[in-house]
Amino acid sequence: MAPPAQSQRSPSPSQPSGKSEVSDLKLQLRQLAGSRAPGVDDSKRELFKKVISYMTIGIDVSSLFGEMVMCSATSDIVLKKMCYLYVGNYAKVNPDLALLTINFLQRDCRDEDPMIRGLALRSLCSLRVANLVEYLVGPLGSGLKDSNSYVRMVAVMGVLKLYHISASTCIDADFPSILKHLMLHDSDTQVVANCLSALQEIWSAEASTSEEASREREALISKPVIYYLLNRIKEFSEWAQCLVLELVTKYVPSDSSEIFDIMNLLEDRLQHANGAVVLATIRVFLQLTLSMTDVHQQVYEHIKAPLLTLVSSGSPEQSYAVLSHLHLLVMRAPYVFSSDYKHFYCQYNEPSYVKRLKLEMLTAVANESNTYEIVTELCEYAANVDIPIARESIRAVGKIALQQYDVNAIVDRLLQFLEMEKDYVTAEALVLVKDLLRKYPQWSHDCIAVVGNISSKNVQEPKAKAALIWMLGEYSQDMQDAPYVLESLVENWDEEHSAEVRLHLLTAVMKCFFKRPPETQSALGAALAAGIADFHQDVHDRALFYYRILRYNVSVAERVVNPPKQAVSVFADTQSSEIKDRIFDEFNSLSVLYQKPSYMFTDKEHRVPLEFADELGNLSIGEAANNVVPTQMVEENDKDLLLTTSEKEETKGSRNNGSAYTVPYDGSSTSVFASQAQIESAVSNPTLAGHSPQASFAIDDLLGLGIPATPAVPSPPQLKLNTKAALDPSTFQQKWRQLPVALSQEISVNPQGVAALTAPQALLRHMQSHSIHCIASGGQSPNFKFFFFAQKFEESSNYLVECVINTSSAKAQVKIKADDQNTSQDFSTLFESALSKFGTS
Amino acid sequence: MPVAASAIYFLNLRGDVLINRLYRDDVGGNMVDAFRMHIMQTKELGTCPVRQIGGCSFFYMRISNVYIVIVVSSNANVACAFKFVVEAVALFKSYFGGAFDEDAIRNNFVLIYELLDEIMDFGYPQNLSPEILKLYITQEGVRSPFSSKPSDKPVPNATLQVTGAVGWRREGLVYKKNEVFLDIVESVNLLMSSKGSVLRCDVTGKILMKCFLSGMPDLKLGLNDKIGLEKESQLKSRPPKSGKTIELDDVTFHQCVNLTRFNSEKTVSFVPPDGEFELMKYRITEGVNLPFRVLPTIKELGRTRMEVNVKVKSVFGAKMFALGVVIKIPVPKQTAKTSFQVTSGRAKYQAAIDCLVWKIRKFPGQTEPTLSAEVELISTMAEKKSWTRPPIQMEFQVPMFTASGLRVRFLKVWEKSGYNTVEWVRYITKAGSYEIRC
Repeated sequence: MAPPAQSQRSPSPSQPSGKSEVSDLKLQLRQLAGSRAPGVDDSKRELFKKVISYMTIGIDVSSLFGEMVMCSATSDIVLKKMCYLYVGNYAKVNPDLALLTINFLQRDCRDEDPMIRGLALRSLCSLRVANLVEYLVGPLGSGLKDSNSYVRMVAVMGVLKLYHISASTCIDADFPSILKHLMLHDSDTQVVANCLSALQEIWSAEASTSEEASREREALISKPVIYYLLNRIKEFSEWAQCLVLELVTKYVPSDSSEIFDIMNLLEDRLQHANGAVVLATIRVFLQLTLSMTDVHQQVYEHIKAPLLTLVSSGSPEQSYAVLSHLHLLVMRAPYVFSSDYKHFYCQYNEPSYVKRLKLEMLTAVANESNTYEIVTELCEYAANVDIPIARESIRAVGKIALQQYDVNAIVDRLLQFLEMEKDYVTAEALVLVKDLLRKYPQWSHDCIAVVGNISSKNVQEPKAKAALIWMLGEYSQDMQDAPYVLESLVENWDEEHSAEVRLHLLTAVMKCFFKRPPETQSALGAALAAGIADFHQDVHDRALFYYRILRYNVSVAERVVNPPKQAVSVFADTQSSEIKDRIFDEFNSLSVLYQKPSYMFTDKEHRVPLEFADELGNLSIGEAANNVVPTQMVEENDKDLLLTTSEKEETKGSRNNGSAYTVPYDGSSTSVFASQAQIESAVSNPTLAGHSPQASFAIDDLLGLGIPATPAVPSPPQLKLNTKAALDPSTFQQKWRQLPVALSQEISVNPQGVAALTAPQALLRHMQSHSIHCIASGGQSPNFKFFFFAQKFEESSNYLVECVINTSSAKAQVKIKADDQNTSQDFSTLFESALSKFGTS
Repeated sequence: MPVAASAIYFLNLRGDVLINRLYRDDVGGNMVDAFRMHIMQTKELGTCPVRQIGGCSFFYMRISNVYIVIVVSSNANVACAFKFVVEAVALFKSYFGGAFDEDAIRNNFVLIYELLDEIMDFGYPQNLSPEILKLYITQEGVRSPFSSKPSDKPVPNATLQVTGAVGWRREGLVYKKNEVFLDIVESVNLLMSSKGSVLRCDVTGKILMKCFLSGMPDLKLGLNDKIGLEKESQLKSRPPKSGKTIELDDVTFHQCVNLTRFNSEKTVSFVPPDGEFELMKYRITEGVNLPFRVLPTIKELGRTRMEVNVKVKSVFGAKMFALGVVIKIPVPKQTAKTSFQVTSGRAKYQAAIDCLVWKIRKFPGQTEPTLSAEVELISTMAEKKSWTRPPIQMEFQVPMFTASGLRVRFLKVWEKSGYNTVEWVRYITKAGSYEIRC
């Protein structure tokens, strides 16, 4: 065990600084070690307490090891416990000294007091020093045969600890088979439960290498074992019951009568006071009946009451855990819960994580009969609670509107939101009205009348502004002053910071132009000019594209930009049903709370980056998690399911650009939201490229050259990189070791770049937009260190880069290694140009 | 696996480690730094009690001024982890005698380390029952009952008890006076719309018991719940008695209750643990008697004045009374001056929570005191923004009243020595979240 949190901070003034106190303690301990005076145990206790408290606050007291061991010769059990705790903490860092303790621990393992035997055995197994395992086997063997159940219980866990220190010693001593025997024959249920958890862990770990172990693992879920455990389930402690129930979910009964037997036996577990037991039981029920549709349905009805009770009792955290599961079930079978919608009403003081789940459930259970009440309730939240929740509830109203047939009343509500004159309410409502119009164009008349009254000056949020602009473009024939509103927006082009809004503005002006040409012509000209001069590449491209297509043929342009649209019937689901099923299979675990299957957050593969980063110094994983994803998972990656949670907030925003808030695009090939790769292929299409002299700019632009206004940047060669390159850290490390340094140079970083580099993440994102991915990063001002990689487009040739940036000297030391040495110079230029653009865009 | 916790941390509000216990090596030692950096020092705190940072998941709970953090590296069982924390805190409380806070932890850290070793081994929960643990881990840290030296009061078979079948009670208890205390504690949750219609209303109740009984007594509890009564009349083949019966939506029991017998005979029979415990919990949504009706009228007179009139009606029996009634009436942030008239109790304006707080210490049944207040607001130059009114909240306790109408019909104690027992039964109804929109 590592000494607790030594790195945490320098001790505050009130805390002892360590050194002198520790040597003081050493002296006192020495004096007491040999003493047999009465009351010596009490003074020892005081000293030990001091040592432990120093240990806890992070002062290194390992130098007292010898003295502590000397003092441990005592019959006082509290002293012994403190000594064991101390030894357990420092043995790992002092393996030689740990040897000293073996002696007295082994002696204690033979003590006549079972309590001491148990404690000594536990401490012995907790030393975690690999070269001491030989001393463990003997005491563990006798511990497993001990007449006292407390000792056996500790010994069983000891076997598991031994397995984690040295698997081979554990297997060679044949401990697993002893555990198996104990599991099936011991009279004490806690011993049985510990055997079960130890065996599950050992055999799951062994199964990959040994046939026998995987057979044994299968044997755990065989009928005799399961029945044996189920019959004793009431004797188990509540925690052990969870363990057994977990095991039962893996069991496959042979026929339906067996299923009913098990369910009858477990029926009363649903009334258990421990929520974990109830959830585990529910999981068993759901899994068992998965193939029996009608019974499965009854199970839902049956588990409803216990779940609702659990939600309303206990701490917010506990009810959150249950609520997440309820949420999962509601999403799977909303109709079962539709009459219980009042349980999902939010209380004023509930934490927002609970409210958020409740809002989603209210949305899901809405049907013809309860929509009115639910929407009324949601409207309360829009006015009454904290702003994020208010936003969520407005979105919820919108979602209900989109899933119902009778939208009459809801549309009125939404329109009322627009009149509430609160910025965030207006913003959310605009986005919703837009989505609503896409699905129900027949409502346009009512909505447009209200939307037309909203001044674009009062709408600041990009998404809302984009929605408003979309409506201005789409319904410009119904809104009298649409061209003039658009014109004034175009005039303020430079003040518009969001590229998304500028893109929408371009399209809206185009649409408006086709409907009311004379009024819009000047606005269109201004918009196209501003767009082509825009330094955001998507805006630039779109403006250019519109310009050319207009020059080519106006009616073709109209067909492309403003085709007759069909109403959207169904909005895409954010999660595939396969993923949802995976989550359901992992009921009663973290997967449900994270709303993603466990392989996405527990696989070793995904955790490698952290360790790798650690190796490189105190580096943070940055976006590395993104890059280790194998290519076949790129799809999920796009849905940002694999991002580390800390980044999720940020990426969520950009993802929403792509899904929920995207105005339907007009079927042209230049969808802004298509991935960069698509744009790349579209624009580098030779027919287009050969068409006009300007085209080369477009290509340059995509390759990261930037706008022609920065001629200082060296012109990059025609090297294309794979935008979705993937490389896992271990391969990176291997390659980095194997390959020679192809290029090593110093690049100066421009001042804006230095200014923007307050945290490593900023550069990562920038470089990623140039198809150069970061695998590890870290450091603090003024020195930052990055490891990047890139892949050649449509080739598996990799480039690896080590880049150390010093912000005070504004210089970057770059080392490049490449699979293909010939192109490393080209890549270097590309890298340099990408880096030079950092901070300017 | 249910929970294989890798580590457990106790932190104070500043993020200093009070206690840490690493059970497994599969997480780094710097986990607590990660927690501090990513959760405690960001706005994340309180947004979600479960977070993933660098491959490890953190479950955290705040209890008074302490954060308890569990770190796991696998796909753990969340409900189990939180339940574990709650149970552990209950255990510590029973050791410290009430409070669980930073000071209590600092004063008892050796004891906590001892307990942490017993209640969890290598990340798996073991025994958390205070009754059993107190047998061999004592607050005074006195010697083990098994030590060879004689002590004045030997406790037999403690380790057998540690893992024994009736885990919640030890044998050989003797009391001079055999007494049972039973409390039915209900909390009423109400959400009422501004138009006076009940949006949501339910009662969560629990039956708390305190037993001081000798030997191994068998107890049987009869309530006036619908299912129990029907079953009884069916068994005795006589028509159900008239009178109010209560329909319980859902019931959960302490592990001592024989659930098989509950399912077949619908009676609650059990061998109680010694001392205090929670026998059962239930939930009721139908036929709830609300103890109070609140009738607010709030008028905004122009931009700088408001008139608030609140009438509170107690609808329980005239002989009963409520205690500690607090009514919080929200007012806008820019409140400058308030003046009140109340027919009972005292009222004042608390700027910290933007509320008029009206307290009535003793509130008899069938009365309706009123509060009328005038509120003056600072006129702000900011553009007109309508004030969104939070709901009126209410706190109270009504002794000898149950909102559900639940009553104890009988409580029988049977022990083989046949001693006499004294049974005490109390009822109390408290406000849960009692909200009235206005």
